[in-house]
Amino acid sequence: MAFGWRNAGLNYLEYSSVAARALRRVVTKEVAPKVARRDAMALKFSKWSEGKAGELKPAPVAGVKADQGTSA
Amino acid sequence: MYQLRSLVRPSLQLFRRGVQASTRLYATEAPAASAGPGKMVVNFVLPHEVLVKKQAVNQVNLSAVSGDLGILADHVPTVEQLKPGIVEIIGDESGSGTQKWFVSGGFAIMNPDSSLNINAIEAFKLDQISTESVAQELAKAEQNLASAKSEQEKEIAAIEIEVYEALKSALA
Repeated sequence: MAFGWRNAGLNYLEYSSVAARALRRVVTKEVAPKVARRDAMALKFSKWSEGKAGELKPAPVAGVKADQGTSA
Repeated sequence: MYQLRSLVRPSLQLFRRGVQASTRLYATEAPAASAGPGKMVVNFVLPHEVLVKKQAVNQVNLSAVSGDLGILADHVPTVEQLKPGIVEIIGDESGSGTQKWFVSGGFAIMNPDSSLNINAIEAFKLDQISTESVAQELAKAEQNLASAKSEQEKEIAAIEIEVYEALKSALA
C-alpha cells in the first residue's frame, strides 16, 4: 500500500498536501479558524496565444473537486 | 607467483593508505556535539511556523516510512521520510520537557554535526485534535474508498485513511 499513490499518478507534493488537508479537517474548534486559512489554495492559469489571454481556468488540485475549490 | 605478489602488495598498501586518509567513517563523522555530551540540536519547522528552534534535547522518536525510529545524539547521518504519525521530542525537565506532535508527513534530516532538522506540512499537538472528528472523517474516507471511481480517487481516500488510522492509534 505504501507508495500506491505514485502508481495512481500522484506525486509527492500531491500526496503530502492530501495528507495535510486530511489532518486540518480534524482539529478542534479552538484552532480551526487559524488552520482553515492555510487550507485555501488556488492557482488559475490561462494559455496565451497571439498576444491574447485564453480562458482563465483554475488549476486542478488533487483531492479537491473543482466546484468546491476556492473560487475567490 | 612471488613476483606478482610483490608487485601487487605495495600498490595495495598505497591504496589502503589513500582510503584511510580520504574517507571519514561513521564513528569519526560526528564531532563533539555543540549542545553538550549526549545532546543534539533539534529544529522543527512548518512552512508557516517554527515550532522548535535550536533546542538541545536527548532523544527524538519518529515514525518514518522505513520504520519507527528513535534518534539519539551522534546518530548516523540520514534522511528519513516521515509517515503521518507522532514526532516525540524528549528533552530535560529543566528545558522544555517532552513534546509530542502529530505530523501529516515530511522529512527528518540528521546531520553529521549531531543536529536534527524536521520539516512537515502540518503538525498539531494531540490536544488540538478532535477525537470525534477523526472517527467521522475516517468513516467518510472509507466510504469514499468504496465508492471511488478512478484509481486516483481511490488512492486519495487511502491516504486519508492512513492519516486517520495513525491518528486513531495515537489518540487511543
